Amino acid sequence: MNSFVLIKQVPDQSAKAGVNADGTIDRAKAKRMLNPFDCFALEAALQTKRLYGATVTAITMGPPPAIEILYEAIAHGVDQAVHLCDRRLAASDTLATAYALYNTVRYAGDFDLVFCGLQTTDGDTAQVGPQLAERLQVPQVTYCESFEIQGEKLIARRVTESGTQVVQCPLPAVVTVANSAHRLAYRTLRGVQRVHQLQRDEVERNQVIQTVSLDDIQADPARCGLKGSPTIVAATEKVGEIGGKCVLFQGKPIEAMVSDLLADISLVELVQR
Amino acid sequence: MKQVLIFAEQTAGELRPVALELLGAGRQLADKLGASLSCVVMGTAIAHLPAALIAAGADLVYLADNPALETYRTLPYRRVFIDLIASMEEPPHIILLGSTTTGRDLAPRIAAYLETGLTADCTELDIGPYEHTSAQDPSKVGLYKNCLYAIRPSFGESLKARILGPWKNPQMATVRPGVMVALPRDATRQGTVQEIPVNLSTEDLGLVVLETLRAVSESVELAKADVIVSGGYGLGSTEGFVLMHELASCFENSAVGSSRKAVDSGWIAHAHQVGQTGKTVRPKLYIACGISGAIQHRVGMDKSATIIAINRDAYAPIFKFAHFGIVGDLYQIIPEMIQQLKQGSVPSNFSKTGETNVLTHTL
Ligand SMILES: Cc1cc2nc3c(=O)[nH]c(=O)nc-3n(C[C@H](O)[C@H](O)[C@H](O)COP(=O)(O)OP(=O)(O)OC[C@H]3O[C@@H](n4cnc5c(N)ncnc54)[C@H](O)[C@@H]3O)c2cc1C
Ligand SMILES: Nc1ncnc2c1ncn2[C@@H]1O[C@H](COP(=O)(O)O)[C@@H](O)[C@H]1O
Repeated sequence: MNSFVLIKQVPDQSAKAGVNADGTIDRAKAKRMLNPFDCFALEAALQTKRLYGATVTAITMGPPPAIEILYEAIAHGVDQAVHLCDRRLAASDTLATAYALYNTVRYAGDFDLVFCGLQTTDGDTAQVGPQLAERLQVPQVTYCESFEIQGEKLIARRVTESGTQVVQCPLPAVVTVANSAHRLAYRTLRGVQRVHQLQRDEVERNQVIQTVSLDDIQADPARCGLKGSPTIVAATEKVGEIGGKCVLFQGKPIEAMVSDLLADISLVELVQR
Repeated sequence: MKQVLIFAEQTAGELRPVALELLGAGRQLADKLGASLSCVVMGTAIAHLPAALIAAGADLVYLADNPALETYRTLPYRRVFIDLIASMEEPPHIILLGSTTTGRDLAPRIAAYLETGLTADCTELDIGPYEHTSAQDPSKVGLYKNCLYAIRPSFGESLKARILGPWKNPQMATVRPGVMVALPRDATRQGTVQEIPVNLSTEDLGLVVLETLRAVSESVELAKADVIVSGGYGLGSTEGFVLMHELASCFENSAVGSSRKAVDSGWIAHAHQVGQTGKTVRPKLYIACGISGAIQHRVGMDKSATIIAINRDAYAPIFKFAHFGIVGDLYQIIPEMIQQLKQGSVPSNFSKTGETNVLTHTL
């Protein structure tokens, strides 16, 4: 059995480094981390290894430093990895990303399950998983919380606004994993040792972590990056001050500020938006 | 004629509120474009829904009524949707879906099938011109008159991004539930209903829903509360939420909310989270305690009738859109507030009016 897991490196926004004065992200300076939602996908993929003996392949698309999260995945027990790294991918929107990842998945071979995170913290669209499933022409189970495999089928629980659903889905399939699923377990000793080994031994590293270009995976550059993206971010705007008039109490004794404020709440219904 | 097409989500024969909200937003876009507003509704035993959709603003309702469509499933709904679009003389100018779990499951499949752009989880929509000049991709250069402006909070603290894709129709977006406003119901509106074919293959039917467990009525009634007391990272610990509950209990029909950072810190359950990845609320009164007011939080609560912010930092962004604020330590202010409210010196319903004699600062 083969499981793939798609993971992405994102800027760490809890660290203030790399956030420009205007609120945009300076990706060169920002600290980097594994997309927190992808931790759940990684755990789900590793579960198929523990329970069903699957071979797990981690796949990422991103600039050279993204190899860090592949090491991280290997430390957790992933068997091998593919890193799609190509300048022509810059400015890809979700459609172009899904196209590039689709070709990477095909390059990586046959699969029973592709696990994706629910969404990324930088793109924040939750679109790449279903778009990939569309390209692969396979069914999908989104918002998956837990699952088991029975024969050729996946039995999965998904969480929706109106309740929990249990579905039976034929394989192969794409699964996006909810953040209410199992948390990522600790790194394994073996995994950590393996990472050290790979960092020392370039030959072995290139076997375990394949770095590929668009040409290697036979993807059409015209469908990637800026060219292949039907959407663009045309403008970012500072969020305006809606009203901009706050009745602000400060520098007075607490008791007085609170009573002044509460006296004012009685005006609430007169405040018009 | 140009069309704006909406996906009208229903469960068990009942329209979801977002369907009506989308029609409200779609009506405005369609009128601006001089287009017609149509919607597609799928399910079984739903013959009563088109009338409600027309009363809510639709000119044309595409109806797919079939037992295989009873419960939402990706592939059957996808098939009916793409067959519908293939049957049209020209593709819709715009397609909108709600960013519910269903909308976010279905929309990307359709966008990928049509190879068109899709913007996720928008909080504002508009129509306007766009001139592309960047020579990086010459095929895109030109002036586009009727672009969908899909606006959503962006990564970063206080930015909104305007995302466009005028090069290809349909231009697609999913829209946050609770943000757009439905039109008042008008039973005299006229519209057309068109039944559409349902042709499903065996592959489309491969996934089977074995069981649906209705959500146990969530005790967090954020959507219905008149007063929400919300705590953020400034609480510093889970104990802070005891204080939030105590303040909330001073009001009728109240609930406790939170920011994502408080949820991520493990101080309170995700069901309480307000904001982009939580709930959208519009209570009569929202009290934000120790919340900085990041855009992702703001989009979930800035339609509240009155916002009170309590924050130690006079320059916290929340004071830019709150109506009232106290600068100071919440652990001093909230207990005092609870005490004064309990003494009943202050009306806790909002019906009375009174004199105001406070200093007004504008930040
Ligand atoms: C894709 C994405 C989705 C997101 N979705 C959401 C969402 O749905 N909801 C959400 O809330 N956020 C969301 N966020 C996170 C958001 O960007 C902010 O990080 C978050 O809202 C900040 O929470 P906070 O205001 O509680 O914390 P902080 O920004 O850390 O603010 C804490 C505030 O408390 C004040 N304070 C500290 N101590 C005290 C005290 N003793 N008394 C009074 N004041 C005090 C500080 O001055 C500060 O202003 C999302 C982010 C991303 C990238
Ligand atoms: N560049 C990428 N490399 C690998 N996986 C990705 C990438 N972008 C998105 N994904 C996957 O798609 C999911 C949804 O991402 P998004 O649509 O950006 O919110 C993520 O959680 C990942 O599993």
